[in-house]
Amino acid sequence: MIGITALVPAEVIYSCGEAALDLNNFVPNSKLEPEEKLCAWTAIWRELVLRGKVKIDKLVVVAGGDCYNALVEGEKVELAGKPTHYFTYPFDRDSKVMQEELNALAEFLGGIKEEAFDEVAELKKLALEIHEMRCNGEVSAEKGFLIEVSGSDLMGSLEKYRSAIEEVREEEVDYEYRVALLGIPPIYPDFHAFLQEVGMHVVFDEMPFEFIRHSGKNLKEVARSYANYTFAGHIKHRLRFLESQLRRHRVDAVIHFQQFACHHKLEDRLLRDYLYEKLGYPYMTIEADLPSPTPQQARLRLEAFAERLREVW
Amino acid sequence: MLIGLDVGSRAAKAAYYSGDGYEFRIVSSQNWEDLLRDKEGVVVSTGYFRKRVPHDFNVTEITTAIYGVRRFIKRKVDVIIDIGGQDTKVIDIARNDFRMNDKCSAGTGTFLEYIASYFALDVAELAKLHRLAKCAAPINSTCSVFAQSEIVSRLVEGYTKEEVIKGVHHAFAKRIAQMVPKRARSVAVIGGTAKNRGVVEALGKELGVRVFVPEEPQVVNAVGAVEYYLAREGER
Ligand code: SF4
Repeated sequence: MIGITALVPAEVIYSCGEAALDLNNFVPNSKLEPEEKLCAWTAIWRELVLRGKVKIDKLVVVAGGDCYNALVEGEKVELAGKPTHYFTYPFDRDSKVMQEELNALAEFLGGIKEEAFDEVAELKKLALEIHEMRCNGEVSAEKGFLIEVSGSDLMGSLEKYRSAIEEVREEEVDYEYRVALLGIPPIYPDFHAFLQEVGMHVVFDEMPFEFIRHSGKNLKEVARSYANYTFAGHIKHRLRFLESQLRRHRVDAVIHFQQFACHHKLEDRLLRDYLYEKLGYPYMTIEADLPSPTPQQARLRLEAFAERLREVW
Repeated sequence: MLIGLDVGSRAAKAAYYSGDGYEFRIVSSQNWEDLLRDKEGVVVSTGYFRKRVPHDFNVTEITTAIYGVRRFIKRKVDVIIDIGGQDTKVIDIARNDFRMNDKCSAGTGTFLEYIASYFALDVAELAKLHRLAKCAAPINSTCSVFAQSEIVSRLVEGYTKEEVIKGVHHAFAKRIAQMVPKRARSVAVIGGTAKNRGVVEALGKELGVRVFVPEEPQVVNAVGAVEYYLAREGER
């Protein structure tokens, strides 16, 4: 089992005959109080791995173009004896450099054995169909989110992911507003359900959408696709991408979810300037630290946000 | 009758609206039931406990603050500062940005109560002493623990009780001012603490803007609950 700390092309991991496990999936429901903590995500998965609560054989840390907290936590895990690889996205989106990264990753995992590119691409296509259903109000945000966010590791098994997708049933979602959730996925496990309660249907989860958006039929195509991972390159690409996605998803309002001690917090101003000041989307920022059910303060602000949407916009 | 019921962390307030005006009543939070005794009508609840008390409609205290201020202050207000017992909210009306300080008592009514009790005063007396001060003693901390040691130091240095209290009000205002967006040109302060003229004066100085205080700052949210209902009702 290969632990991953952020988006690492899972198609490569499965093609090397290994399975991926996104360590972040264990964080929102964790009760662990980590020591030496900046961001709760990285501190908690580091502790879970070091204490053997999550069993992995090797670790792949996304060290560049994403998160330096993860990089250091990865070093701790490596120095404690776990084979660790550092995966880097090219800031300039150069697909050749991306391909070299994929080669290095494959090498770390013992080389490509049986290509799983097609099957993963097919699964992601199915996940995109669920995404469309969610956009049409036929799948709840909570269920849609689960499928999309699981696109990072494909639930540790392609069969498992396939049956999870197949199990999703059409339903009728009642909502007043279509909302985009930008930034880090919420560390509060009930967040989507709470938003639903106050009439806000999340039709677009920025990062989870990235997890199912990228794929390819071979290493070259995969490299080309992942080189465009919007969180890794210059933010101007991300802003442009968001603009088109918000329009395509017919979004009424934007919630930016940020995490204490995360450098992405610094992007709040840029996102707000672009999406609110320039494009006019109602915008709210929520900041979280440790995992828990959505705290009262955040609930109050979000509920008031929904009330204001009713009359101002 | 319409009843706006605002049950907060310390006080419960009711605004009774009969069509031609409001009547108010304030009790401590635990006794909120008194506010509904012998009263019949549509209850619109707000405040921390809005979903815990019987109601026909409930609405957040952020929205009611906006509606309530609109009823009391007949001019454009950019930002509302709601100083509550347990938290302080800064509501940027234009941008619909809401900030809250609820991690500790600094910048909340509880802090001033703590200061008053240190001087064996009632919190309502703080403003009177503020007015008598010739200058403000330099106080930087709004953490109850640190503020107390600073207060003692200032008294030892020879500042009067009045000057220290004025200093505390300025520290308090500075703390809240940090949460207020720089663009704000006009600010309304609501909540029981808004009755303290010392705090309001200090806030005006720290922010460099006009600070408006509604006539009945403590019941603004209760009134806002009714006003919200009336506005929504009009749309239905
Ligand atoms: S929230 Fe920020 S700091 Fe934490 S893991 Fe994600 S990118 Fe890194």
